[in-house]
Parts: sequence; structure tokens; C-alpha cells
Amino acid sequence: MTKLARELLFPLIAVLAAFIVGGILILLIGDNPLVTYRLLFGSALSWPDGIGYTLFHATPLIFTGLAVLVGFRCGLFNIGAEGQLYIAAFATAWVGITFANLNPWLLIPFCFLAAIFSGAFWGAIPGVLKARFGSHEVINTIMLNFIAVALVSYFTQYHYKVPGDPILQTSPIGEGAHIARLGKFIPGFPERIPLNVAFLLALLCCLLVYLFLWRTKWGYEIRATGSNPSAAEYGGISVRTQIVLAMAVSGALAGMVGINEVLGYRYRYYDGFSDNYGFTGIAVALLGRNHPVGVILAALLFAALQHGGIYVDGFSEHVTKDIVQVLQGIIILFIAAEAFFKWVLGGRFSMHRLRANV
Amino acid sequence: MKYNETKNYSRKEKMIGLTVLLALGLLLSGCGGSSAAEDKSKIKVGIVFDIGGKDDRSFNAAAWQGVQRAAKDFPIMLRDIEPGTPNAIEPAMRAFAEQNFDLIIGVGFAQAPIMEQVAKDYPNIQFAIIDGVSKLPNVASLVFKEHEGSYLVGILAAKASRTGTIGFLGGMDIGLIHRFAQGYEEGAKSVNPNIRVIRHFVGVTDAAWNNPGKGKELALAQIGNGADVIFTAAGNSGLGAFDAVEQQGMQNGRATHFVIGVDSNQNMVKPGFVLTSMVKRVDNAVYDIVADVVNRGFKPGVHVFGLDKDGVGYAMDEFNKDLVTPDTIQLAEEAKKKIIAGEIKVTDAMGS
Repeated sequence: MTKLARELLFPLIAVLAAFIVGGILILLIGDNPLVTYRLLFGSALSWPDGIGYTLFHATPLIFTGLAVLVGFRCGLFNIGAEGQLYIAAFATAWVGITFANLNPWLLIPFCFLAAIFSGAFWGAIPGVLKARFGSHEVINTIMLNFIAVALVSYFTQYHYKVPGDPILQTSPIGEGAHIARLGKFIPGFPERIPLNVAFLLALLCCLLVYLFLWRTKWGYEIRATGSNPSAAEYGGISVRTQIVLAMAVSGALAGMVGINEVLGYRYRYYDGFSDNYGFTGIAVALLGRNHPVGVILAALLFAALQHGGIYVDGFSEHVTKDIVQVLQGIIILFIAAEAFFKWVLGGRFSMHRLRANV
Repeated sequence: MKYNETKNYSRKEKMIGLTVLLALGLLLSGCGGSSAAEDKSKIKVGIVFDIGGKDDRSFNAAAWQGVQRAAKDFPIMLRDIEPGTPNAIEPAMRAFAEQNFDLIIGVGFAQAPIMEQVAKDYPNIQFAIIDGVSKLPNVASLVFKEHEGSYLVGILAAKASRTGTIGFLGGMDIGLIHRFAQGYEEGAKSVNPNIRVIRHFVGVTDAAWNNPGKGKELALAQIGNGADVIFTAAGNSGLGAFDAVEQQGMQNGRATHFVIGVDSNQNMVKPGFVLTSMVKRVDNAVYDIVADVVNRGFKPGVHVFGLDKDGVGYAMDEFNKDLVTPDTIQLAEEAKKKIIAGEIKVTDAMGS
């Protein structure tokens, strides 16, 4: 088998196993699994709503999946994408509100930069803490999530809300900051579907992340640090710099979720908008085997589940949207158990080989 | 991750891979068949719940009860979606709209701006929003005069209070909840002009509806300041106040402190400690709108449910009949008549 097929095999087994286990559950609940799955994927792939919404939901997951991937490649576990994207979404909206009257050709890039740099800043904090003081990034990113969420809630409530609005959201951004929905360019694809150019940006980021990690000196240094920090240090790489750089790039990628949400969908900051994108990004990166192409595929699968789940909730007899969580959970479980499965599948795998593979 | 594995996979592994692919093929080919045939003659009603979901024992649960009752009485096809996350609300509404549903109900004020967007795209579909207001010609806005019901429970609270101090515990600090607080205060002052009302809000975000711990702390603080009746309008957080009054115990078989429930009838939650509940009949409102659509009598615009239509009120049942004296009830009933007749004007803190 080729390298590619080998890389695909385990994610595929994990997904299939999840659907088989999920099918048994659906059967126990009292529905026909085939009908349920047909509803799930039929609605997620229908034209134009299904495909439009699936791609729209996939956009933030591609960004956060890439964010987690860059961290993983440097040996860092960034659980802070959720906080990074909240900070960035608010910063994006802040620029869009404060400079609402600027020319769109200036305003939109300005908003993009706000998303990227605020995310990078929030991501770099745990990077610096790790590089400078050795405090673990897992703890710090988790704690910074809480701070980020509370901070933007505070600013929204007390400084940027329209007075009297019962919903916790900022005032709208300037029209000049709106980015185009893809319905503008695709005939027969209605503009009411919020799929926007941020999706194309996400695909571009996949390419850029690939080029960055595998075709540049910085990417090489990040990966070297991730593979073996001591060897990297011995080879003349400043591990501390790489940690901060990787966390900043990771945060910047997570921050771009704000572009999709604020500039392409709601045109304002809406408190609590994220459907755990930062955490689902971890699953996306794992299922995508920490490769940009894998991240796209995994994000598409999770987004399809998310959109199809709405239809399952509404139109199946007994099964609710929770089946999607169950499927995602089982997928992650199987991915995590990969080493075990490799051992079961091929008894000839020695422990040494196992370690070399993971 | 390293890719230095050059050897081909074993035969066993290939077999497993093949089996898996076959299973996938079978699964997909099996997907072509049956789909539940829907009766086209039936009126199709879809309801999209708030983030809390239909089992919140309060606001969403009341709406769910209403549509279920309607589904029993009328030949409708009822479908519901619990979006669970803010970004799923719009696709959920559109899911119903794209399937040509006849009536789509949105539960909660947070859905109002989304419904405004969606309803524009489907002028032939009828929409209803609970607690929100829309001016579109195909949207019915179901709103309640919470201040009127709160006025009545304010009377009950003032009559029951021995300390001359009562409490109000709100969930999220928004205009809608100020409407409860204001009506409550005015009702209490109509009985005892010198009564002191302590107001607290759990928070400013959605999380304020779901923090019973903080609700209990605030209730205990109010009790510490002398309040002996506490009206909660705080969703799940209000249940903390129930615990707080129960903790104060009873004297001579009567509770020393009371709580007033909200939205659904919560008298049975802590029997003996719940003076009454300010019920908001979301169920009736939802039932009526379904009935209107079934009878081809759907009316857009604002539907107001006040004391006159029993849209709001105070709950009396076997759990609190010994707690409220007959002359208190008489006083409340007189006030109710006067409010309906327009002789008493209760301030609407939202000013509409």
C-alpha cells in the first residue's frame, strides 16, 4: 500500500467503526440506522442548502484544526483555540465598528489583520510562559480560555452593546467591512446561505500551512522542535523561539474564525457564538492526522455531521441531534486507540515499530 | 510521525481493509430505499427551541407542552429541533422552511433577529416568535404582560411578609426581567407603601439562567438583609432561592421564608415554601397560534397575553392553599379586575 493509503486507513476505520456503533445505538433507540444516516448525509449534501451550510460550518473547523495541527507539530497541545478565536472575533468586530466609515479596501484588510494578530497575541502568551518559565501550555491555554470568554463578554455588555438590546451582542460593524458571500459569484446559489470568502481563505491557509511547515526553514525548525527538542537545540535551533512562534501561528489561525463569523455571517460580535470550535479543532487535527489535507477532510465530515444533525433532530422519529456527539465521540475514541488497533491488526508490529509510527 | 515504513501491509490487513470497504458500499447502497411518507394534507408545524432545550422544566417546557397538546387536538404533523448552539438556530428554521412547513415557532427573544431574516425569505410560510416582536406580515409576535402577573404576586408577597422587606431575584439583567421586577414592586407597594424591595440579578450573560449556586447565594444575602419573601425570575438559577428559603426552616408548621416561582407552576417544587408561582402561559399562547393556523385564522402582528386572556397569573393549588389567606386572594382578584378594566395601570419597564 502506498503511504497515502496507509495514512487514510486508520481514520477511515475509526469513522466506519463509529458509524457501525452509532448504527447499533440508533437501532436500540428504535429507528432504522440506514434511514437516519440517509437523512443525515442526504441533508448535509443537498444542493444548495446542505452543501452551503456544511462548507460554512467547516470553515471555522478548518481554521481551528490547522491551529491545533501547528501546535502538535511543535510538540505543543494548544487547547486554547477557543479563547483565541473569541478574542479575535471581538477584535475584528471592534475594528469593524470603530473604523466603520473607512474605505472597504482598507477596512477589510484592517479587520483581517485584527483577527490574525489578536489571535496570535493570545496564542503567544502561553507560548512565552512556556518558553520563559516552563509552565505547561495545556494548563495555561485552558485558563486563558476562561479569561478570554469573560473579557469579551464584559466589553460587549458594558461598552459595545446597543442599549436595550436583550441579546448580548455588539452593535453592527460598518457595511464596508462585510465580506462577500459566495452566492454572489455562484449562479443558483442563494446569498442567504452564509458561506463566504472566509471558506476560500481557509483553503488557502491549508496550502500556506503546508508550505510553511514543510517548505520553509521556520517550519522545519518547528517540526524539529516537535520531534525532539533536545536534538533540535543541539542542532542550533532555539527551541524557545520555536515554541513562541508556533503558538503565535496557531493563535493566528484560530483567530481567523473571527473573519468567518463576524465579517461573513453575523456582521457583529455575538457573545457565545462558538460551537466549541476550538475543542472540535483538536478532534479535526487528530482525525486529519495532523496534515492540512486531512484537516480539510475531517472538518468537512464534522461539519456535515453538524448540519445533518439538525435534520436528524427535526425529522427522524426518535433519534435526536445528540447522535452527532456520540458519533464524534466514538471517532475520537477509535483514533486515540489507534496504537492498540495496529497491534491487534498486525501481530508482527513490535513495540519498537509502534513507537516509530505514532 | 515518521514514514519510514517501507514494507507492504500483510495480507490479513488487506483483507480487513477490503471488508471495511465492502461494508461501506453496502451501507451506502442500502441508503437508497425507504423514506417516511408524510401525509400531505396535514398542517406541518415546526418548533425551534431556545438553547436551554425542551426539558428545562420552565419556559421551553411550557412551549413544548402547548404544541403537544395542539398535536393531540388537531390533525397536525409536529416536528421539533433543539439547536443547542447559537449557530444552529438559523439552519434549523430554514430546515423547516425549505420543507414547506405551514407554521414555524421560535422560542425565546434570542431568535427574534434570526426569524426576521428567515421569515423575509419565505413570505408564504407563517412564523411565530415567543417573547420577541417582529413587524413582518407573516410573523405573529407572542408577548406577555409579565408586569401584570408580577403585580399580583407582589400583592401576595407584601401580605405574606412580616418583616416589611421582600426580595426580587432576576436572571439576566435585561429589560424583560426588569418588567417582572417593576410590576412586582408596584404590586407590593399597593399593599404596603413602605415596603422595601431588594433587587438582584444573577448576571449579564446567558449563563445567568443556569447558575443555581449564585442564585442561592443572592437569595441568602437578601434573607440576611431581612427579606422573607423572594420572587425569582431567573430560570434554573431561581431554584437556588428555593433551596435558600427551605434552609431557613419552619416555625410552628409554617415556613419562615417563602419563594415565588416563575413561568411554569413551581408550587410543588418545595411544598410549603413556595408562596405561589407567577405563571406565564406560553403553552396556551402556542396552542392558540397552532389552532389559528389550523382554522386558517392566522393573524400576524403582536399578540399580547395579559391577565384578561389568562396569559399570566398566579398559581393556586393544593400545595399553597394554606399559605395564602382568603382575604389576600380577594385583594389580588380585585386588583386583577381593576387591571383588566384599566383602573390600575402597571408600569411596563420595557415601555411598549
